[in-house]
Amino acid sequence: MTVEGGRPRLARRALDDLSLPIDATAVEAAGAGDPAWLVADRRAAFAAWEVLPGESNQLYTPYIDLRAAQLAETAFVVGSSATPGAMALDADEDALIQTSDDGSVRIALSEAALAAGVTVIPLRAAADSLRARLDGGGALPADDKFAQLTRALWSHGAVVDVPAGVRLERPIVVRWMVGTAGQALVTRTLIHLGAGADAAIVEELTPSAGATGAGATGATGRPASQAFFAGTSEVVLDAGATLRMASLQELPDTVVAIQHRRAEIGDDASIHWAMAQLGGRLVRSRVDNRLVGDRSSVEQVEIVFGSDTQVFDLTSYTTHIGRDTTGDLLSKGALLEASRASFKGLITIDKTAVGTDSFLGEFGMNLSKQARSVAIPSLEIDQPDCRRAMHSSSVGPVDETQLFYLESRGIPEDEARKFIVLGFLEPVVARVPLAAAQDHLRELLEAKWAAGTDGVAGEAAA
Amino acid sequence: MTATREIVTDQRDQFAFHDDIAYLKETKRGLTRATVEEISAFKEEPDWMLQYRLRAYDHFLKRAMPTWTDGLDKIDFDNIVYYRKPSEREEKSWDDVPDQIKATFEKLGIPEAERKFLAGVGAQYDSEVVYHSVKEELTNIGVVFMGTDQALKEYPDIFRKYFGTIVPPEDNKFAALNAAVWSGGSFVYVPKGVEVPLPLQAYFRINGENTGQFERTLIVVDEDAKVHYIEGCTAPIYATESLHVAVVEVVALPRSKVRYTTIQNWSNDVYNLVTKRAHAHANSTVEWIDANTGSRKTVKFPAIYLRGEGATADIISVAVAGKGQHQDTGAKAIHLAPNTRSRIVSKSVSKDGGRATYRGQLKVAPGATNVVASVRCDALMLDDISRSDTYPYIDIQEDDTTMSHEATVGKVSADQVFYLMSRGLTENEATNLIVQGFLEVFTKELPMEYAIEFNRLVKMEMEGSLG
Repeated sequence: MTVEGGRPRLARRALDDLSLPIDATAVEAAGAGDPAWLVADRRAAFAAWEVLPGESNQLYTPYIDLRAAQLAETAFVVGSSATPGAMALDADEDALIQTSDDGSVRIALSEAALAAGVTVIPLRAAADSLRARLDGGGALPADDKFAQLTRALWSHGAVVDVPAGVRLERPIVVRWMVGTAGQALVTRTLIHLGAGADAAIVEELTPSAGATGAGATGATGRPASQAFFAGTSEVVLDAGATLRMASLQELPDTVVAIQHRRAEIGDDASIHWAMAQLGGRLVRSRVDNRLVGDRSSVEQVEIVFGSDTQVFDLTSYTTHIGRDTTGDLLSKGALLEASRASFKGLITIDKTAVGTDSFLGEFGMNLSKQARSVAIPSLEIDQPDCRRAMHSSSVGPVDETQLFYLESRGIPEDEARKFIVLGFLEPVVARVPLAAAQDHLRELLEAKWAAGTDGVAGEAAA
Repeated sequence: MTATREIVTDQRDQFAFHDDIAYLKETKRGLTRATVEEISAFKEEPDWMLQYRLRAYDHFLKRAMPTWTDGLDKIDFDNIVYYRKPSEREEKSWDDVPDQIKATFEKLGIPEAERKFLAGVGAQYDSEVVYHSVKEELTNIGVVFMGTDQALKEYPDIFRKYFGTIVPPEDNKFAALNAAVWSGGSFVYVPKGVEVPLPLQAYFRINGENTGQFERTLIVVDEDAKVHYIEGCTAPIYATESLHVAVVEVVALPRSKVRYTTIQNWSNDVYNLVTKRAHAHANSTVEWIDANTGSRKTVKFPAIYLRGEGATADIISVAVAGKGQHQDTGAKAIHLAPNTRSRIVSKSVSKDGGRATYRGQLKVAPGATNVVASVRCDALMLDDISRSDTYPYIDIQEDDTTMSHEATVGKVSADQVFYLMSRGLTENEATNLIVQGFLEVFTKELPMEYAIEFNRLVKMEMEGSLG
């Protein structure tokens, strides 16, 4: 930062510059103790990172802005070979793996999960056995600069494997705890469901013990220093498998987060994503759904509830490859104060994808004059023989008719407004496959609404 | 299909002709600073225009080639003739037009059209307006309709006040190229309160292999005035690349109403790269009605900047992409003022390996309160070797905007084809009819003889793929 004429001014910086201090030394440090092939893979990723642009898709280059990230002082958390600790499991969970930015890892598995042969372990120790899915970049997109960053620098990770035919009653929790100022935690999560398996996973991104800044509910002073988190969900679903995958992101407002998710969906398999983005200073997320198998399907619901000056940059790619595949994607954003959200989506229907049904919806609600929402719902179609190929998008204020109706029922205006906004975000809440997490998410949304509308009420009064 | 009836006979030949014209003046192939100076000197332009051209030329050299669309790297700028003048001067009446050029226009049917009811005719032959007649009626009510070069000389004040203010040379690489070498095009000024009773129309044609056509159109519609401008394009078919880089600027002053209709049917070797933009001031209405059936590659996104409170924008964009073609078209509505409205409707058809792309932008800037906007894109694909893309950009920076967007892609319904065939139509005719119905949102906005011509063009395009 430089000071000119007494006013602080941000240093000029490229829009796609994350400001992370990355060099060959950091890559070597991250790979210390790894097998030779993995060290080589990290170096290859670093080489790609150095040459790739921040946004390699020409469609989206006009809408990248990472300047909210101030990560020049950040140091990467390095993995340790210590054995993971144990911890108690809640009654409504079948397994848990928790990783914190102090480097500690804890794992718990229910009797039922153990008996069924479910694996939940740290990735680092299991890397050699998963070489086929890691070497050469695996599920991480080769043209994505930040995916290559993750590939080069990951220090921690989780592996979830549900054997063929196993149906887990209760969800598996994968928890990442981050937010300690100056710390960068880079992780990968590999998930595999065997043929006919059925499971639910809840990913929780929560503040660590050392976290500074406010949680997802926001509204405290400017943080002194930022933290960084990068994470993945690299999902492979064998024939007939079903995965319900929820993600609750309630990181402190000091965290810059980069997420890559990719699902390779086999014959008759289906994935149901439910993602809530509440916290973070700057969140850049990318989801790749690859409908490879015949009759495979994806349902994806994602909500953003932004406030303050939060920036959410969300991209979703859905590629239809098999026959008679189904894609149903819905993104919703409610933006308070000066928050910003970009929903970039691309449906691709390959020539082989006869009988596709694909829908992409992007809906925004700007709740303040300073808020900004961008939607780029795109289609690239090579096969016209489809059941449906469409997208739809809308941006609108809180519906006056709905407001009037609620008020006529005796509900005060503020309360009615809250109902409508939280109702707009409810589709994701309802899809979280863990009652406790659902309740927690509702509480977070309410708290964020309360914090964010203080300013609005003040504005109105002024 | 064996039973091809006359309805789908290929009539393309009627438009694929090439006349040997002796050009009175032409520049050497390629573009240098000297070419720009030569064009300006030949036209005896004021110094400010020369300086303007040179500034644009410098920017053209500096500006990188856009990479968000493909194939533009195939343009060989060194192999293009940037200026050609086919006849001595602007002709005042049809009788004065040289016979050979007249023969070309006869094939296009302009005189009949004029005789019927059209108000004025500005026909562009390569780089210069050679034929231009404005009915007395228009002159009497103060409407100016002439070649842009002539307007620079005859109406220097109003010309300089608006020229380049809507699309500055720095806007994009091709706007810079046009500003450097522009020649011809139409200039329209409609005075306050005047409603032009009939559509103004100009036919454009490219003749001469590797002739660039860089026309520049400026339309200024004063307060409470109203006009409908129509341009239609045909071009001879050649084997090597041709380049068409136009700039169209429209100024709609308060409470005016402007409609600009285009039927683009360049031959399939033309790169058609056009910047079209309008400024809509308070309570004015601007309508772009835009159809693209020809060219090898078209890159064109008619834009409306809603600058004044209460302005309305309406854009209908239609594209047909056949073999070897890429129609990269769409629309932009930029809301900069409160209580503005926009509607975008796009329809595209792709077939025989053609690619139709909708690229659009809808932006609501801070301060533009109470905006209502809608975007509707539908694409029809006639086979599975073609491609259809939709890339809408929606950027909303106000809290009371009402915006809706929908896009669908599909094929011709087998049920509909079957039904029509059961009524005695061939498969060709049935498909043809369905495509025409799909594009009707566009055709119904056209004057009758244009609607007929457009449907004929679509049939010609269809003929290539079926039977």
